[in-house]
Amino acid sequence: MSTADRLSVDFVPLVRGLISPTTERQREHRRIIGLSIPFILLAVFGGIIPLWEMAKISVSTSQFDTGGFTMEFYRQLLTVQFGFYVFNTLWFATVTTIASVGVGIAISHALEKYDLPYEGLLVTLISFPISLPGIVAAFMIIILFGNTGLVTNFATWLTTDAPLIGSVIPASSATDIAVATGIVGLFFGYCYSMIPRATFLLRGSYAEVNTDAEEAARALGASPLATFRYVTLPQIRPGIVGAFILTFRTATAIFGTVLVLKALDVLTLRISRLINVSFNIQGASAMSVVFFIFTIVFTFIGLRYTSAEVGGS
Amino acid sequence: MSDDTSNRTNDENARRTDGGANIDGFGTTDEESTVTTREANQSLSVRFGRQIIKGVLALTIVFLIGPVILTFISSFAGSWVGVLPSGFFTLENWYVALGYNELGTSRGLGGGLQYSVLLALGGVIINLIVGIPIAYAIVRYDFPGRDLLSTFAILPLVSGLILGIAFLRTYPNLSSSGISLIIGYSLLKAPFMVVAVKSSFETMDLRQLEESARSLGASWPRTFLTVIIPNAKQGIIAGSIICWTLAAAEFNFSYIVYSRGAKPFSLFLFSNISNSGVLQAAAAVSIYFLIVAAVTALLRASGTRGFTYGAR
Repeated sequence: MSTADRLSVDFVPLVRGLISPTTERQREHRRIIGLSIPFILLAVFGGIIPLWEMAKISVSTSQFDTGGFTMEFYRQLLTVQFGFYVFNTLWFATVTTIASVGVGIAISHALEKYDLPYEGLLVTLISFPISLPGIVAAFMIIILFGNTGLVTNFATWLTTDAPLIGSVIPASSATDIAVATGIVGLFFGYCYSMIPRATFLLRGSYAEVNTDAEEAARALGASPLATFRYVTLPQIRPGIVGAFILTFRTATAIFGTVLVLKALDVLTLRISRLINVSFNIQGASAMSVVFFIFTIVFTFIGLRYTSAEVGGS
Repeated sequence: MSDDTSNRTNDENARRTDGGANIDGFGTTDEESTVTTREANQSLSVRFGRQIIKGVLALTIVFLIGPVILTFISSFAGSWVGVLPSGFFTLENWYVALGYNELGTSRGLGGGLQYSVLLALGGVIINLIVGIPIAYAIVRYDFPGRDLLSTFAILPLVSGLILGIAFLRTYPNLSSSGISLIIGYSLLKAPFMVVAVKSSFETMDLRQLEESARSLGASWPRTFLTVIIPNAKQGIIAGSIICWTLAAAEFNFSYIVYSRGAKPFSLFLFSNISNSGVLQAAAAVSIYFLIVAAVTALLRASGTRGFTYGAR
């Protein structure tokens, strides 16, 4: 029997079953497909087609029409300069992810284990920054650490004898202390967006921790630290790995924050400059393709081979 | 494991015999000194562990919310040259931000807010049509490829910036009409809808609900529309509110795709943050804070605590 024959044998009743189902099982198949179609349509027209188009542009010979074939723009990525942007993106994302997940563990621990007053309000406050775009997160950092920011002016004021209220801080001395547009300011800007995300990605795993084992450990004389280290941590480890993967993805994709604070040449900033400064759409597309493939591979490998848990899945 | 247990017993004995006072391990045998160090650790984490964690929590909340409050307050200030803003109370910054004077016409709000409100609403409608069925399929049925579909549906796999680049050439004529913005917003924000609705479905016994309705004579589409969906109301409302807010302020995608015509709200925020004085930018950003505060109140009224589903 040829492949075509075998296909037609299996395929025809399947299609017929979908069009006019006779059994409950066939109806169920039809429902699953029907329920998935809107999502698949959006994914195709909103995601797959544009991304495919972008991949074609990245190998086009002309700037204004999609066509021809050249690997020139990928070859340009093999330079030290591009390696520098990749390096910046990766090390900064790693540092900010470690900090954010660390703080996130502490916060979700406090929310889950301690009897805090106004816990609902605390949750609402911590989740507030999730609604803010990166540019607003950057502005929050300017308010704190900018040239006239609160922390900057306070630190400057400490070096003078002027009264706290109503005194004018000399701009020149304040500028030396301001860190908003430096790497430290950018670090806080990233953490501002990432800490709430890390916290709520972790909360799901925290809610599932077996509290009996923790209580038993405490009753047997283990210190709170030892209980956390040997009883709680092994249980939330998959959640931590999952939060780490997703928060790291968030960090590599941050753009608005770095566009305002401009402290580090990361990949996203570079891509937008290629478009807005020189309209080098092929170069920007090539970088985007590499970036996109990296994100997908990183996510799937990360989630598959680390037994990571993604909150809510 | 057995090693651990014996150590714990040692700890217990040590604590009973010397009351935890022996912090100094001087002049003791090897075994005794491990016990005393552990004892020291234990008393440290007993005494300070909770305080340290609570301290981290308090500091984080000050870091996250402090600048928000400061921004809102300073938007009513006349100047900010000292440690704190001064010259209260003036609405000048708000007049400019809302576009009520000559400076405001270039960087003022204009029609940007209404435009973004409508675009985000369009995105939410698409998200409802897309998100509710896929969430139901994932929770209710088991089928080949379910895990893969689930991963694609709940994780934002493409970032706003890259999707913007991809849209530039694919839908060049749609960019001024706003349709490409709606499609992009709905794709970027779909995961939040799916996650919110899915978590509602997961608390329901879908099979039983479906079977009861069907045995009473309802067709499957009728069951889905009049029994299943109303029961998942909370997740659907939360998902819609969160998707709407995130789309109304979506910056990365809008920044790349916007070419001409009415300006999305996030670009109004950007031009104020990057070009205006701090106080005027504070007023512009405060407009958005007011929207988020209203939306958060709505979320809480519908039984959801803040933007927790937005954590992706």
